[in-house]
Amino acid sequence: MPTILAVDDSPSMRHMVTYALRRGGFEVIEACDGVDALAKAQGADVDLILSDVNMPQMDGISLVRELRALPAYSNIPILMLTTEMSTERKTEGRNAGANGWIIKPFDPDRLLATIHKVLG
Amino acid sequence: MPLEMAKGSGKQEFLDKRAAQLPPTLLGFSHIQRYWDARHQMAVAKIMPGQLYVTRHREMIVTVLGSCVSACVRDKVTGVGGMNHFMLPIQQEAARSSTPISDAARYGNWAMEMLINEILKQGGKRQTLEVKLFGGGKVLSGINHIDVGAKNIAFVTEYIGREGFAIADKDMGGTYARKILYFPATGAVEVLRISEQRNDQLVMREDDYGKRIDLQTQNDVELFNLPPRSPKKS
Repeated sequence: MPTILAVDDSPSMRHMVTYALRRGGFEVIEACDGVDALAKAQGADVDLILSDVNMPQMDGISLVRELRALPAYSNIPILMLTTEMSTERKTEGRNAGANGWIIKPFDPDRLLATIHKVLG
Repeated sequence: MPLEMAKGSGKQEFLDKRAAQLPPTLLGFSHIQRYWDARHQMAVAKIMPGQLYVTRHREMIVTVLGSCVSACVRDKVTGVGGMNHFMLPIQQEAARSSTPISDAARYGNWAMEMLINEILKQGGKRQTLEVKLFGGGKVLSGINHIDVGAKNIAFVTEYIGREGFAIADKDMGGTYARKILYFPATGAVEVLRISEQRNDQLVMREDDYGKRIDLQTQNDVELFNLPPRSPKKS
């Protein structure tokens, strides 16, 4: 069963995302910001990261950069799940090494379909 | 009519001058209607159902609520704050029963997160946010028997609790509409109750908004270059 690291500073959003992913058959590790995610990623075997962008401590874009610098995470898919829809932020995410951009409010079925597509 | 024309252009000039005096909006809020309020001697941003406004200046944010709710949120340290105005979508529940997470919850979460994120982006901190909640009146009349206001109140109250925020002030429920005047710089709020006779237009506007929410919940997925596939785990 693939493991997804779900990162969001909002407990409500983490709750919804985790619920949707578990129902879709994934194991989920939750993290509340970039710093928390970076620590949890290094202690687990993660298949995909789904991260918010605007977060305290370390935002999602910085998290992508930090993860991409780690050999174990150089090729793990990272999808951003965010309210941000500006081209500038998307480009920033893409340049940092993110593999996809999903705009909230997310549709659970479409989110799962996207993840399945990315995981192949 | 040279005299009237002169008068007209004079008025326009006056309005232009006033507009020039309004503090600049933050990125993404230039579409919000703003004007100068002589009584309060400050700029006013007027938000409609489905909109939100965040400012770091000494401004007033105004909205009129029927069964919709508004969260007034500000950072007590920096003074940056704003207001949203939303309701849970009215009609999609039955149509989308296969989805365990309701459209209502997804939309409500989004409406709240949009506001809070904008404040955090401007330097606000979750720990120092002050939250005040208003609206949720039972004002939808006639055909619509569901108490939409009560659903909105239940959602926003639960959301704030789950996020770990305290409710610093609230005025929700009842059978009347409200006009909310919010001053994010100080956190002050003035609530004016609106008499029933003047609710028709408001009810129509909210009803229309509630029905068109499903258009806004279309999500957008964009995939960039994908990393090379690694062997799948069993």
